[in-house]
Amino acid sequence: MIEVSGLTKRFGTYTAVSDLSLRVEPGRIYGFLGPNGAGKTTTVKMLTGLLRPSAGTARICGFDVASDTLEAKRRLGLVPDEPFVYPKLTGAEFLRLTGDLYEVPYEVQRRRVPELLEMFELTGFGGELLETYSHGMRQKVVLASVILHEPKALILDEPLVGLDPKSARMAKEIFRTMAARGAAIFMCTHVLEIAERICDRIGIILGGRLVAEGTLAELRSRSGPAAQGRSLEEIFLELTGGQEYAALLKNL
Amino acid sequence: MRPFLRTFSLLSARKARSALNGVRSMSGWEWVRNLAFGAMGLWMMEGLRWGFFRLLSYLDALPLLGPLLIWKLVAMAMLTTFSMVIVSSLVISLTSFFYAEDLRWLVRAPVPLRALFADKAVETVFFSSWMIVLVILPMILALAQVKHLGPGFLAAFFALLLPALALSCAGGMAFTLVLMAAFPSSRTRDAVWILSSLAAASVYVFVRAAEPERLVRPDAMQLVSEYLRYLQAPTAPRAPSWWLTEGLAAWVGGAREVFWLRAAWLYGAAGAAAAVLLALAGRLYARGYSGAQEGGRARRPIDIPPTPEARLRRLLGRWAPSAAATALFWKERTCFVRDVKHWSQLVLIAALIMVYLFSIDRLPLDTAELKSLVCFLNIGVAGFVLSSLGLRFTFPAVSLEGRSYWVARAAPLSVSQLMGQKLAFCLPPTLAVGTALVAASNHLLGADRFVSVLTLGTIWLAAFTLSAMGVGFGALFPRFKVENIHQVESSAGGFVYMACALGFIGLTLAAEAWPVKMHFDARLGRANAWDWRAAGLSALMLLVVNAAAAGLPWVLGRRALEAYEGD
Repeated sequence: MIEVSGLTKRFGTYTAVSDLSLRVEPGRIYGFLGPNGAGKTTTVKMLTGLLRPSAGTARICGFDVASDTLEAKRRLGLVPDEPFVYPKLTGAEFLRLTGDLYEVPYEVQRRRVPELLEMFELTGFGGELLETYSHGMRQKVVLASVILHEPKALILDEPLVGLDPKSARMAKEIFRTMAARGAAIFMCTHVLEIAERICDRIGIILGGRLVAEGTLAELRSRSGPAAQGRSLEEIFLELTGGQEYAALLKNL
Repeated sequence: MRPFLRTFSLLSARKARSALNGVRSMSGWEWVRNLAFGAMGLWMMEGLRWGFFRLLSYLDALPLLGPLLIWKLVAMAMLTTFSMVIVSSLVISLTSFFYAEDLRWLVRAPVPLRALFADKAVETVFFSSWMIVLVILPMILALAQVKHLGPGFLAAFFALLLPALALSCAGGMAFTLVLMAAFPSSRTRDAVWILSSLAAASVYVFVRAAEPERLVRPDAMQLVSEYLRYLQAPTAPRAPSWWLTEGLAAWVGGAREVFWLRAAWLYGAAGAAAAVLLALAGRLYARGYSGAQEGGRARRPIDIPPTPEARLRRLLGRWAPSAAATALFWKERTCFVRDVKHWSQLVLIAALIMVYLFSIDRLPLDTAELKSLVCFLNIGVAGFVLSSLGLRFTFPAVSLEGRSYWVARAAPLSVSQLMGQKLAFCLPPTLAVGTALVAASNHLLGADRFVSVLTLGTIWLAAFTLSAMGVGFGALFPRFKVENIHQVESSAGGFVYMACALGFIGLTLAAEAWPVKMHFDARLGRANAWDWRAAGLSALMLLVVNAAAAGLPWVLGRRALEAYEGD
């Protein structure tokens, strides 16, 4: 389970995330949406212990990320927005490193690493240095590394960027399967169609504040009777002021 | 020519604006911190200036030989300075021309490649030389003071320095450019890179083995006139460093026409080098850049057997470090070995050790007491070598996690474990180099048992302290987003580490000076030479100095890294 309560992050006088509270139950996928600079990545960094909150708490499976950091991290998997990986390791070695860091038994690694490489169609590249991989291939390796240690909570920051259509579809299936096995998944994405299809709940952040939250049906009903049948994209643009783009296009 | 100049000035303006924005966006704390480091730097430079002033004043007072010795010293310092600039430019140009982050964007933009190359060349000259210039500047200031020269002399120095630095870097840049274009395959390029390092190291060892210092010692010359001739002879007459020295000497001597002639040589040669480089860049840069985008194609097995670290962990049982720490150690070792840039450094270090021991062996020492005393003082020199190696390998260890730092940070691994693993990786080689330098020096000079045991124990302790200090300061000043390791070394943090490391070595020698004096008193027959309370106090001082030098940076670094929120 992922629980966030009053989470706030200030950089000097600038407040990137303000009083954020949400909850992701085991087996659920939470879509976290927002325009660029809204505070999504800052939230992800606080959830994963990469940033310390200025106020509030984030708990992973009951462990406070700030005080019970290691216990929280043992149960957590992260797919960051940029798949930076050690360039001088091979794909297979990176998976082994992740397996060791999360204390996955050697016998399990030996069986699972080739399986995961095959699943992501990386078998032919698994023995090559990561510096030769494309962005999408590195993203696949990071996804595979997360699956290897089977986290109870999964934080995904734009996990499908750079993936080819087949891999993107497979990744979506993987997320669904992991959720079905009991993982709580928190996913930041700009691809509203994906959020619409696979997320059980959706939160929309704007200027560091959560401006809307609920199931897609709840978001529609909150937007009034006229919103019935509208897509998530339309609701998102209405809530974040994105529909004013027509006025901006005059500068094109 | 116009598009070139227009683009070059645009690219230069972007750098100036970025620097200005960096200064403007500094917080109050950053201002305080940077001003404190600046003050510390100025204090160190003042220390160097004072030292040079004492030396040059002494030499200047020597009748007949004084002025000759001063200019010989300046020439040798300039030659050393420019040799160091050449070596730095070799490594820095590789990153700036072929692996810099902004290149991906700039190469795609309609920027003439020559303008881009020129922009990166200016960057290379700056990063290769700024620190070395800061070290040589106190000597020039001291020279100006001793010779009662005004600001005109400093202006003349800087006017000659700029083309001389550019010329020194031009060699390194041209080598890198040709290498990258000629060997597009990364494995061949790596092999050539290592062979070049081997060649440079061999030349260094051979030059040292020729014992040039025999020429510096008047007693090695048959006649006084021979010695005078040596002092008057040019030091590397074809090198820009000699033109610079001659130009400065001419300015001081009032021979303005010689000064302008040397300035014309320097600017002419720098202009010619720039023209040749730009012409080469037009033909080779695109090919080299394209080749640089390819990574190493060495295929390794997917089915990986347990690593030696994992096997050792099983053997150690409950005494073993955590699986995560062992895994990170394995990662560190593997990545280090696969990075060819480290290999070339290791080759040069091996050469340095050989030359070091050769120099120790050739020291003209007459008595056994003097030899043992030199063995004690050798801790200072060996400590300096370990500090320099620490600046290159230990201090950047945390920053070398680079943008992949998120992997370790998101993993169930504490910052202490991460730092401990860095220490575990850096300590053995530091210990080995320290032991090799001190034990071999003691053996070559025939140090007595007391000095041998003391120096060996001291260097082991110093190796540990310097490694912990390096990792600690590296964590206190992490730079995960730099493009090359030299940016980490030459950062404010690197400067603070080096200053503290040298201070620590000085304090170590000071703490041990008393017992060493008592030992020599006893050896020379003085009764009741040993005062055991004084010896105990020295030992306590040594322990306190080591605990503070290792512990403080470690604790501060750990806290800083735990609170780290990005560069």
